Amino acid sequence: MSHAKSEAAQEWKHAAVSTASMYGNFFFWLFREPFPTRQLGQQIVRVMLEGFGILAVAGVVEGAMFAWLAGWYGTKFSVINWAGAASLYLLLTAATTLFGAMMFAAKIGTAFTVEIGSMQMSGQLDALRLMAVEPTQYITIPRVLASILSFPILKAISDACSILAAILLARLWFDISVPVFLQHALLVLRPTILTTSYIRCALHGFFISINACGLGFYFQGGAIELGRTTTKSIVINLVCVLVIDTVYGVMDSVFGWSTM
Amino acid sequence: MIRARGVRFAFPGRPVLEDITLDIEESLTTVVVGRSGIGKSVFLKCITGLLRPQAGSITIDGDEVVGATRANLLAIRKRVGMLFQEGALFDSMSVFENVAFPLMYHKLASGKEINRRVQAYLDLVGMPEYSQAMPQELSGGMKRKVAVARAMITEPRYLLYDEPTAGLDPASAAVVESMIRGLQREGAITSLVVTHDIDLTRYIADRIALMEDGRISADAAREDAFQESSAIYEHFIVNRERIRAENDNQG
Repeated sequence: MSHAKSEAAQEWKHAAVSTASMYGNFFFWLFREPFPTRQLGQQIVRVMLEGFGILAVAGVVEGAMFAWLAGWYGTKFSVINWAGAASLYLLLTAATTLFGAMMFAAKIGTAFTVEIGSMQMSGQLDALRLMAVEPTQYITIPRVLASILSFPILKAISDACSILAAILLARLWFDISVPVFLQHALLVLRPTILTTSYIRCALHGFFISINACGLGFYFQGGAIELGRTTTKSIVINLVCVLVIDTVYGVMDSVFGWSTM
Repeated sequence: MIRARGVRFAFPGRPVLEDITLDIEESLTTVVVGRSGIGKSVFLKCITGLLRPQAGSITIDGDEVVGATRANLLAIRKRVGMLFQEGALFDSMSVFENVAFPLMYHKLASGKEINRRVQAYLDLVGMPEYSQAMPQELSGGMKRKVAVARAMITEPRYLLYDEPTAGLDPASAAVVESMIRGLQREGAITSLVVTHDIDLTRYIADRIALMEDGRISADAAREDAFQESSAIYEHFIVNRERIRAENDNQG
């Protein structure tokens, strides 16, 4: 039993070291020729297509949920006209980024881990090395840069979906007219709320994709090990999302980035 | 010439190669035989620098592979092509893109020249009509043929084959065997094949080396290797007959 525990601990340690080393590798290869421009384009399209559905659906659910909560409390405390403002503020400052990052980790992060792990298993990474192609440069850099660039765009789409869902629910359930919803919402909305949330998304995109790629490269073994590695990828990335969101939130409240 | 001297390699807690010493002669096909899991593929990976031995020396045309810098390793690898067990084709690319990949990535030729060379190599391996197919549409034997075309497109001096017929039905295996032999005749390529396939060995080998217990225990020309007194003959024929007899008796 204790042997199994120590093996599991060793495995996690190995995974953590491998993931950490990917950060160094990424910056080492980022500025070396040839830059994988074509692969970057392909990965941007891929991340956008694969992430669009899940983030749009998540946006609709979050928008409806937060509008309903804001409406319910607004009715209770007789400030129903502010429900739109409250839901929008919560959505844009916290909810869509956090939940969106979780969805991104689940959908895109695991896809990267499984894809690279399968390439490892079938010898494709070794084949690249033998063709004098550095896998970090050819595989990791396009995926990480595509995540950094695409996740804020996906977040903007998710935001739009959540706002539409919030407006619709507020109108149908709480009878808040669209002009009233928007009038109050615009009072609390500042451009810095949006810019800081998109910067946070880019950060999440960076960490999620590097962790996922690092774990794909770390993988060794067969189908069972690939399953375990994928589990590690999602666990590490969800923890990472929570930590980054907390640290960023604390720094935001200290430096007042989103209230500037 | 590829020269291995005293090569030792171990995975954590599991020694694999103890003391491998072997010369791969120019323009010949050397076949390394041995039981499954004995370290034949590991030896190939050591030769190409994908794994780093803990001791010993491997030279390719006099250039040391063990401990080579990245730049040296890249230069050495340009002289070596390798066929992996399952072909290791890139799933997201068509057959054409797979074969053209090394030329395109390193910008070694113009677009027209790449088209010409890819078509020529697909013709050579008997797959001219599959250039737009995706790897998942191909059988195991076809994948290996495409992988050979990809390994050869940069015109390496050395071609390494890792179990080229493993898992193939006899007809597909025969096609791959003929292709390897055909390539031997076409150009002056030095080949190193690791396998436990006796038919393949008989058909393509110029020299045969037997790997046992992490060492090369016998190394002989094909004509000598299949003499009844040879260790390689014993490995292939006598051991197999003995194990069959033992199992039949137990059964």
